This record gives sequence, C-alpha cells and structure tokens, in this order.
Amino acid sequence: MTGNISLTRRVTNVFMLGLTGLATLLVVSILFFVLGYLLWMGGSSLSIQFFTQIPKPTGETGGGMANAIVGSGKILLLASLIGVPIGFLAGVYLAEYSGRTFAFFVRYVTDLLNGVPSIVIGLVAYTLVVKPMLHFSALAGGIALGIMMIPIAVRTTEEFLRSIPNSLREGAMALGATKARTIFTVVVPAAMSGLTSGMMLNLARVAGETAPLLFTALGNMFWSQGWMQPTATLPVMIYTYAISPYDDWHQQAWAAGFVLLALVLTINVTARLIISRGGSSARR
Amino acid sequence: MISDSQPPPAQSSAEQPAATVALPKIHAKDVNFFYGNVQALHNISMDIYANKVTAFIGPSGCGKSTFLRTFNRMNEAIRNTRVQGELLLNGQSLFSMDVTSVRRRIGMVFQKSNPFPKTIFDNVAYGLRVNGVKGSMIKDEVEKSLRRAALWNEVKDTLHKPASALSGGQQQRLCIARALAVEPEVLLLDEPCSALDPIATLKIEELLFQIKDITTIVIVTHNMQQAARVADYTGFFFMGKLIEFDDTRVVFQNPSKPETEDYVTGRFG
Repeated sequence: MTGNISLTRRVTNVFMLGLTGLATLLVVSILFFVLGYLLWMGGSSLSIQFFTQIPKPTGETGGGMANAIVGSGKILLLASLIGVPIGFLAGVYLAEYSGRTFAFFVRYVTDLLNGVPSIVIGLVAYTLVVKPMLHFSALAGGIALGIMMIPIAVRTTEEFLRSIPNSLREGAMALGATKARTIFTVVVPAAMSGLTSGMMLNLARVAGETAPLLFTALGNMFWSQGWMQPTATLPVMIYTYAISPYDDWHQQAWAAGFVLLALVLTINVTARLIISRGGSSARR
Repeated sequence: MISDSQPPPAQSSAEQPAATVALPKIHAKDVNFFYGNVQALHNISMDIYANKVTAFIGPSGCGKSTFLRTFNRMNEAIRNTRVQGELLLNGQSLFSMDVTSVRRRIGMVFQKSNPFPKTIFDNVAYGLRVNGVKGSMIKDEVEKSLRRAALWNEVKDTLHKPASALSGGQQQRLCIARALAVEPEVLLLDEPCSALDPIATLKIEELLFQIKDITTIVIVTHNMQQAARVADYTGFFFMGKLIEFDDTRVVFQNPSKPETEDYVTGRFG
C-alpha cells in the first residue's frame, strides 16, 4: 500500500500543484501589475502640482486634482460619521442584547442591504437629498457612501464583540457593573483594535465607489465650499477625465487612479497592522 | 439513611452544622434551579457562616458551581434559566435587592483568571470606579487590595503594564485583588486553582486564610485535599443534591453518608 504511488497519481499531484500555484501567482501579480501600470501611465503627471492645484481650463496643460483629493476626504469623513456610529450601535445591539431569532433576521437584512448595487444606493440618496434640495452636494455623496458602510460596520462590530470571551463580561458584572457599563468599559475596549481596523477596511472599500457619487456629489472643476455644493472626488474625476478626448487628461486620470489605489492600500495595510498588533493584547 | 457509627448531633446532614453563630451570612432554603426543563439543583438548604471558609465538593456536573452562582445571581446572565427558593444575605432576600448591589456585596473569582485587557492598576480600580469611588481614594484602595491579595510586592513597579503580562497564578491573585477592592461581604471562588500549578495554588490557599477575617469565603473545588486544607465547612454535592454538609473534619474523616465516603476516599468521581 505504502510507497508505491502509481505514476498517474503522481502526475496528477504535480499537475494540481502547478495549477493552483499558477493561479496564486496570477492573483498576487494582478495587484502589482495594476499598481505598476498606473504608475507607468500616470507617473509623469504625478507632480507637486497634482496635489496642490485644481484642474486647468480645457486646452491648458498642467493643473492638478487638489480639489478632488480634498473632496474625497470630505465625503469619506461624512460617510464615516454616518455609517460607523449607526453600524456600530446596531452591531452592539445584535451581539450583546438581541435574541437569537431577531439577530438572525437583522443579520439577513444587513446582508441583503450589503448586496444592493451601489448605483441603487446612489439613486436613494438622489431622491432623498438631491431632489428636495434641488442641487448636488457633498452631503448627498456622504449620505450615499455612509449608507453603503452600514452593513459591514454592523457585521464587523457584531463579530468582533462576539469574539470577546464571556468570562470578561462575567468578571465585570460580578463586580457590580451594569450591562451597559460592562459593554462599553470592558467588551468594546477589548475589541477595539479589531473594530478600528474593521471600520478602516470598510472605509477603504467605499473610497473607490464611483456610481453613487455620479448623481449625488456630481463633481466640480473648482474648489467647493462647505457641504452643500457639488464636490469633486477622485473616482468621479477619473471617470470624467478618462472619457474625455484629451491626452493630458488621460494621463491625469492614470495619476488619479494611482493616488486612489495608493490611498486605499495605505488604509488597508494600516488596518492590518493595527489588528496584528492589538490582537495579542486583547486575547491575553 | 443514617450510618450507625454516626454520633447523633450531625445526623441530618443537609442541615447546618452545630449552631455557633447567630445569623448566617447566607441562608439558602429549598433552592431549586432549572436550565430550561432540566432541573440542576434539588431543594438545597444550607447556611454559610460569616468569616469562615465553606467548600463545595463533588463530581463534575453535580451542581456545585450552579449553586455558587445563585449567590450572586450570576446565573441570570444565562438565558432560559430559573431559580426557586429562598436565598437570604444577612436575613434579607437576594431577590429583593438590586442585582448590581448583590454582586458588589458578594464578589466572585472565576475558574479561569479573567483579567480585563487593561493595566494591572485599572483592573483593580475597575470595581471601585463602578461603585463611584473617585480620585486619590482609588490609588490607596488599589494598593490595599493588592497587598491583601499578596501581589503588591510583585507588581508595585509595573502597575501600569498590561495585566496580561502576569503569570497565571499572578493573574488569579489579581482577580482576587479586584474582587476584594470593593470590600465584598462574601467572596465566591469557582475552582480558582484548577488552572494553576501547586506553588501558585499554595499561595492562593495561604491568601484565603489571610482574608478570612475580612470576608466570608465560599469555594468550589475539584480538589478534595484543597477542601480539607482550607475549609471550615464542606458540602458534598451529587446529582444536583446536597448530600452532606458539615464540619470539614467530619465530612472527610467520618462522613455520615456512604456516597460522601465513596467520594472522599476516591472510590468514584
């Protein structure tokens, strides 16, 4: 039985190893290919100007996307202010208070919400915010992305809180702490590194969303003041520039793509660093 | 039911030992407990005396931990459970009090040490803060509790390091310090040494002797030698019933029930 593995089995074995290895190599190389290609195509436009200036009028060369970078930052901030607290509190409720059946129901609904196409979320924000206010705004864009953040925020919170051992809750309650106090002074702090990184990954996920911003934040070739004006964002800028007929706009679109990807990757890596460092102290 | 050799005073084993103290610290009468439809405790009556160590022994699943957890109403955190009967603390029903005040007055140390993922100082200060102690008082109380738990000398220079850096035995003593900080009238210990080596166990046992004069101790243990060493009174539980409750010496040397004798002599369990 042992030792004498037939030739076909050995060949199959090597073949499968090769096949799976090749697929893995492809997966890893895609990221580096995209990153490299973006840099190659847009690298020439990546100058100080790109980060400090707003777009030049059509026909003039140069200019940058400072307004879109700031606009993206504003809208992502607003989205976090909406999506994180709502999702976090609902997640706390699911993990710590609700009964099993109800939690199952809410979890299901959350998953469905997560599956709603982003352009449909954009339509909702358009109907609820843009139409009554009669103009596009950073607010509408922030609300659209905020809604998109909620389902993941709920699930992240619920899962990280559930991973905290019950012995910690009992320890706090045995000292006379109320349930709410136990949750907010022991359970949530114990899960903090996981929660922080989960929320950051969530943010990174919506940072690249374009469709819901097209008819909420719209876009802007100039600086926008406050939250009530149409606002430029990196993804929409990439879209606008990429479909334009001008070569230097195309280059700027590549550069914007590189900046956006770099931003998302930075958030991702930071989140994973937080989780790997905090994880050990949270467990023990 | 009563063995012939047994002298008359201790005959009805489920009753309290010879009445020496006027009012028991905890008085339990006909306590029944249910997990859903499964009855885990059957008509348990017992008195716990102040400033004594009472040990609960018995095989796994006999209900000793469940009974212990009825004292600080910790079972209420488990869904679909229900308790019947009378439980009095200093003559007042536990169920007429606010649950948080019950737990402040009856502290608990768990089987597996469960320090919060905070600093050593904040672990001990937690109960104090929960109970409204503020400012500089906290510092003094933390030191006092750590001294009582015989941990002060080992941690006085690392108070602001995470509690997770301590050894298992130190963590368990930290949990005892944390429980002592709120000056509980009763301290419940649920197999506090089951995860510790003999030396750490010895330290905890010595500690129990030292804190006996400031609190009343109830300890659940799997380790019969431990019960024999530390307890003034011992209760033997089996299948959710209190089989025998008496002076520790009597339970171990001259038990009145054959089940107790079988257990303490190691014939089963």
